[in-house]
Amino acid sequence: MITSPAPSQTAAARQWFLARHDLGALVEAIRDTGRRVIGPTIRENAIVYDEVQSAADLPAGWRDEQTAGRYRLEHSNDDRAFGYTVGPTSWKRFTFPPNLTIATAHKTTNIGFEQPVPDVPPVAFLGVRACEIAALAVQDRVFLGSQFTDEDFRARRSAAFIVAVQCTTCSSTCFCTSMGTGPEVRGGYDILLTEIEDGFVIQSGSPDGAAIVAKLPTRRPSHAEAGAAVDNVEAVRTQMGEPLPMAGIGERLKLQLDHPRWVQVADRCVECGNCTMSCPTCFCTSVVEKSDLDGKSSTTERQWDSCFDVAFAKVAGGDFRARPRDRYRQWLTHKFSTWWDQFGSSGCVGCGRCITWCPVKIDVREELAAIAPPIPPVIKPVAVEPVAASPGTYSIARLASMRAETEDTTTLSLTDVDPAFLSGRPGQFVMIALPAFPAVPISISRFRSNGIDLTIRAVGATSTALDNLHPGARVGLRGPLGTFWPIEEAYGRHAVVVAGGVGLSPLHGLVDALVANHDRFESVSLFYGTRTPEDRLFRDDLTAWSASKSIDVAVTVDRAGPEWKGRVGVVTTLFDMISWDCTKVTAFVVGPERMMQASVQGLISKGVPADRICVSMERHMECGIGLCGHCQMAGRFVCKDGPVFRLDDLGDMFNREGI
Amino acid sequence: MATPGRTARPRVAVVKFASCDGCQLTILDLEDQLLEIVSRFDIVEFPEATSRRSPGPYDLVFVEGSISAPEHLDAIKELRKQARILVAIGACATSGGIQALRNWSNHDAFQAAVYEHPEWIESLATATPISDHVKVDAELRGCPIDPGQLSELLTAVLVGRRPQIRDEAVCRECKRKGIVCLVVASGEACMGPVTTSGCGALCPTYDRGCYGCFGPRANANAKSWSTGLLKSGRPPEEVWRLFAGFTGYAEPFRTTLTELGKSKG
Amino acid sequence: MHARTMDDYVAVIAMLNHTWFGAELSPETQERLVKLGEIQDFETDEVILHEGDDAREMGILISGRIALRTLVPERGPVTILSVEPGDIFGWSAVLADTQAQSTVVATEPSRALVIEGTHLRAALKEDHALAASLYPRVLKAVARRLRATRLQLLDLFAR
Repeated sequence: MITSPAPSQTAAARQWFLARHDLGALVEAIRDTGRRVIGPTIRENAIVYDEVQSAADLPAGWRDEQTAGRYRLEHSNDDRAFGYTVGPTSWKRFTFPPNLTIATAHKTTNIGFEQPVPDVPPVAFLGVRACEIAALAVQDRVFLGSQFTDEDFRARRSAAFIVAVQCTTCSSTCFCTSMGTGPEVRGGYDILLTEIEDGFVIQSGSPDGAAIVAKLPTRRPSHAEAGAAVDNVEAVRTQMGEPLPMAGIGERLKLQLDHPRWVQVADRCVECGNCTMSCPTCFCTSVVEKSDLDGKSSTTERQWDSCFDVAFAKVAGGDFRARPRDRYRQWLTHKFSTWWDQFGSSGCVGCGRCITWCPVKIDVREELAAIAPPIPPVIKPVAVEPVAASPGTYSIARLASMRAETEDTTTLSLTDVDPAFLSGRPGQFVMIALPAFPAVPISISRFRSNGIDLTIRAVGATSTALDNLHPGARVGLRGPLGTFWPIEEAYGRHAVVVAGGVGLSPLHGLVDALVANHDRFESVSLFYGTRTPEDRLFRDDLTAWSASKSIDVAVTVDRAGPEWKGRVGVVTTLFDMISWDCTKVTAFVVGPERMMQASVQGLISKGVPADRICVSMERHMECGIGLCGHCQMAGRFVCKDGPVFRLDDLGDMFNREGI
Repeated sequence: MATPGRTARPRVAVVKFASCDGCQLTILDLEDQLLEIVSRFDIVEFPEATSRRSPGPYDLVFVEGSISAPEHLDAIKELRKQARILVAIGACATSGGIQALRNWSNHDAFQAAVYEHPEWIESLATATPISDHVKVDAELRGCPIDPGQLSELLTAVLVGRRPQIRDEAVCRECKRKGIVCLVVASGEACMGPVTTSGCGALCPTYDRGCYGCFGPRANANAKSWSTGLLKSGRPPEEVWRLFAGFTGYAEPFRTTLTELGKSKG
Repeated sequence: MHARTMDDYVAVIAMLNHTWFGAELSPETQERLVKLGEIQDFETDEVILHEGDDAREMGILISGRIALRTLVPERGPVTILSVEPGDIFGWSAVLADTQAQSTVVATEPSRALVIEGTHLRAALKEDHALAASLYPRVLKAVARRLRATRLQLLDLFAR
């Protein structure tokens, strides 16, 4: 979302009350400082921004009715001066003019180019809404935020005195709450007005603003008046309804570049460019040369252009965006996705102009919902088609190498595996067997290009036998079985992996995937606890991950000898290190049951939602495919419905004794 | 071609076919620049403005009017041979103009209904743009053409560059000028979104929807626009009239009209 | 280092502000604590306190890491808990007549605000505001220890 400027102090000490009939005094006071005042006024059946000479020019007593492709003005039941929302003009008209001479050139025996010096008389913008303040901030980033700047913009921006107005009504096309830009105004103004019954609560946001406010016939607001100002703005939030799910829209759009809806919307779009023209942040321009007849002197004029132009992306060799769907996709993805990559914020401020002023009634909110809906939180993990699923059939694999992780745990690297195993996903397991030994379930700890790793603790007959194999030996596999870690549920969020002891094994592949895709997540963290330092698995990987910038690793042990210089304490103590907003965490937890319970409790008490915690359960398995009955847990087959479960699916079955 | 002792000025001819002469008058309307133009161009044939006549070849020929009568067919071919650069100017020359509306009707029936001796009238069944007959090097659209675009074209010829004539919707000009959209704010019928700019959004400036006289933009989505007009409750006859104006015969307006014709019966 | 000058105080209070123990204490309390104690730096493997000693000092760890060790028969010294920056060690010092529960050793170069036991107890007795701020935090630190210990126990016996 847009990051708003720092909140301005709204302490009651700095607020004043200005009576309705004194609004003119504000306009006069500003004009007295030599500034032209540009504000809302009615022209041609709409409320546009143009010069106002006095408060009488403001559209008091009018309101607007806006839907996609339709704008109507009507009388309201009151005499509010600002009882409407935004119209077809935006402040961009004055900070970034539609036509601007940017160079002059002449040709005599030599050639010369001059750049005009911006001549910008001081001006005041009266009636700047929260979304428009955000739009100005977006323009600041575009035109002033890099090594190449637009000095004309800078001059116009600096010359503008901002009188902001908090909205006390919204149109059906407004969606500032979804874009995090309103309805409250947070900074970026010289004076702020909030309209209430008899007048305005007014406050200054700068020394210049304070100087003007000091000249006005104000008094301190009553408690009720100050409260009404807050309530009136809060009411807009309610009126606007449920915000759209815009979190991660940038990433979601990137995944949908081939969605069929692009063609559908392009069939409706007439490419008139009205959306780009009325948008307060669109900044594409073209230049036109105007010369005298022999070309000896000319001016270069910069004009607003639009990426919907058929020839916008044309070069001599061809056209990069030849189809209407390409151009529509360019506009929408630039505005909502790649703008983030370019300027660190969304390009959209939720003002709704592109919806109202589209003559064919295209509503970007509907298009976004159709093209890039939020990733549904309920992802029922779907099992990949396993091979050799039925007991008795096995796919033979070869043991390529072994590595001792701890005293009793070994990682077997298998190769010559059926391709089905390679397309398994972290969290899944295999049933592994040797002739004369019963099959046992083992999590796949790593996926390689040519095989898989299984990390086995020697606790029983089969596992001990597997431990005693040598490279070159063959084993029988069935799988990949079971559900897998829903890594997509962590996109755009803090991905937290909590592992206890050998529990890191089913999580190893997940950590690999998180690290490989780390820019999809807000952050990636691994909290790993073992009984003693000697019980740590994958020590080389732990070292590599600790050194990597893509993941934060914190390791702790329950107890250690004096040579251990790291943390000592149970893994839940690591949660004290968490400083982010835990409602934005997706956690993946595996370990001994007590450890999982304590960890889950710890995470929930820090605010992680239950539907964002995944665990992997362990039960006795004989068949691995839900037919032997052993692995049942509260009505679920851990081999088939699990082993990965979402915590809210398990509910209080998770902690329950004897289930 | 060149008059000895003077730098060679381009030889310019202005020729008309079936037209109202309004585009020719626009050339003359360039009052402030006329002297300069005349000093840089050698206007050798311009019946509207001068009795001077000159056969080809010409460096630059402006052609106004549509091909509407049998004698036009050979004349345009001969003109093309004589012209180094041929520029079609105006709605008639670029799209067939209002005359082209007869292309959807029964020409012979019209003739018989209007003239007592239809056999004396020499007329083609269709009125067609210049480009249907010969290669056209450049077009100036409009009814009439825009003096600014004309000036730009003349400058381009002199300076030796391609004319900067944009192919964008009239909506752009409205928005740049700060004109409130008639369609959205007043529910007016307007052809702006599918019509190419150049007039400075003249009609919307005076609160009137665009007539489409500059003709359809390249790739204009006329289908979506006509569908939208019908959906807004306008009867097919009314939508037909919107498209069947000065430039109805140009694609994609032409196909839209044919489709609408089927529904209006 | 004793905080003698105003600059020293300010620097130590800033350090205190970064710890979970010290942050959000009122400025008056912070100043009181800083005046009561002194900043001490410890080297790697330096023993700060021995298990069984009288509980002489309480420390708020500002940087580094401290291990709490206990001697287990036939095992030797076992670290049962490490103290991270922001946490306290030697909490027993708020109670009179107690012994240190474990040996306190720095496992890397560390810095702490160390407050001598008798001074601390006297201050807590006479300054009620200080006591009201400090006791809950000490309790919280002890509770965390207990929780961690319980989990360790469950784990040990659950094997």
